[in-house]
Amino acid sequence: MKPKDRNELPISERELDGMTADLADAHHETLPALHETLGAWEADTDDEPEGLLALTGVTASRRGFLLGTGALLCGAALVAAGGGRGATAFAAGLPSGTRSGRPQAQKLTGDLVVVALAASLENLAVATYQSGIQAAQAGHLGTVPAAVVTFATTAQSQHRDHAAAWNAVLTSAKKTKVTGVDLTVKNGVIDPAFAQVTDVTGLAKLALELENVAAATYLAAIGVVKNPAGIQTAATIEPVEEQHAAILNFVLGQYPVPNSFTPTTGARPTSDQIG
Amino acid sequence: MSIDDRQLEVLLEQSEDVHSDAMRQNRAALDDLVELGRDARAAGAEEPSPTSSPIQPTFVAGGLLAAAGLGAAFAALLATPAFAKSSKDVQILQTAASIENLAVATYQTALTLDFIGGASANPVVKAFAMKTMSQHTDHGMAFNAAVTQLGGKAQTQPDPVLLNVVNQAKPGLTGPGPVVDLAIELENGAAATYVKDVSALTSKDARNVTASIMGVEAQHVAILNAVKALLAGGAANLIALPPDVAQLPAAAGSVGFPDSFYKTDNARSATEGVTK
Repeated sequence: MKPKDRNELPISERELDGMTADLADAHHETLPALHETLGAWEADTDDEPEGLLALTGVTASRRGFLLGTGALLCGAALVAAGGGRGATAFAAGLPSGTRSGRPQAQKLTGDLVVVALAASLENLAVATYQSGIQAAQAGHLGTVPAAVVTFATTAQSQHRDHAAAWNAVLTSAKKTKVTGVDLTVKNGVIDPAFAQVTDVTGLAKLALELENVAAATYLAAIGVVKNPAGIQTAATIEPVEEQHAAILNFVLGQYPVPNSFTPTTGARPTSDQIG
Repeated sequence: MSIDDRQLEVLLEQSEDVHSDAMRQNRAALDDLVELGRDARAAGAEEPSPTSSPIQPTFVAGGLLAAAGLGAAFAALLATPAFAKSSKDVQILQTAASIENLAVATYQTALTLDFIGGASANPVVKAFAMKTMSQHTDHGMAFNAAVTQLGGKAQTQPDPVLLNVVNQAKPGLTGPGPVVDLAIELENGAAATYVKDVSALTSKDARNVTASIMGVEAQHVAILNAVKALLAGGAANLIALPPDVAQLPAAAGSVGFPDSFYKTDNARSATEGVTK
């Protein structure tokens, strides 16, 4: 291959934009199939206590988060501990017509506890990417490569879709949407880490941690959620978080597919505070 | 080529360490499968055929059956050869193993091509092909370990339908582009199949094993999509570790993950790779 000028953009931006547009169309084609899955949830989400992820009290810390030892969703062990039946979680949601003020707590049981956790993690991802985009626009991260901007905006959009999917499950079960974030992770990990981010590399590392935690949480959830439609929903989202992680690894110069088997280490527990 | 081979070797070594951790975790799920089968046999079922899997599980104390909520009657049924042959779980797992067998064989063939595994190959593409082949080998072993522990027969043959796809594609593998296209088709088919089948598996541990693999195939797809785009744009020099991020075109940041929800259109039939 003839060597190219390093300053020359060696790929047709129009060609890639065209490919991206095609892919965006393909993405929207996936949504109807998801709605079918959500319909299956609707018939089977009446606060059933079975299949519940029990709760473990774990404090999120930067070190634990980085090491992937923050927490585990562990259905069988926790069921044995007696937390598997009738346990509750309080997911923060804004009542309809309310745009501000203290979030209203709602009692959730069964697989819906996991749904609320998933929605809160997705909301946190959306918010974190938004903070990163704003920091970049404000010039706080130095020069930001175009590919990184595209990555952040696309990944954020997909996390928004994921949150919407989980919230659709909640509303189909006559529950309130979760508009808050996983506060345990936000306060214990994201906020302190984000305060130290000064460049694109730092932001990419933080995003990678978030993506890995989301993926691990979904993987753990697949092992304990009872509702087949719930398993299917998590199964369609987990690989996408893994894809985000692969591209982030590549951007960071790390081998992009490090594991033969994706781990559940780092999965968040349903005891995380949401608000 | 802006590639530091030594650095790539270090990255691959680090990846091996992480991989070993993941293998230990995956083995725990397989251990649970073993325990399930063991309890089932203790309940009076016939002994399943001995495993030929290179993954040698260890027996753990404690009864998974109670935790899994399975009755002894169902457990006994699960372990009988007759059930194993018709078990949906075993069929799904055998098909998964057949897909992995084909992937291993295909990467093996691709690596014999000079522009993938030879002197003219991009070092990152070559390393990716080798590492990915190794990961598919791990997957095949894991699926077959699960099959045999559920009383089924290990699948050593490739998926017959996908094998035809590969055979038809072979004459056209004259450069990196067609090879990447074929790899995407196989990887996407694998990921879609596992995403679709994971909720159909009744064995929780078989489900966990399958779920832990589907994301890896999706990652292969993401990287291959990015490589495809760069090759198509004549930017093979940007396929490097670390990449020159500043030179990557904007669209390269999103081309790897086209869908918010993993599509299952290309999923293979759950019975396509069942042993004869």
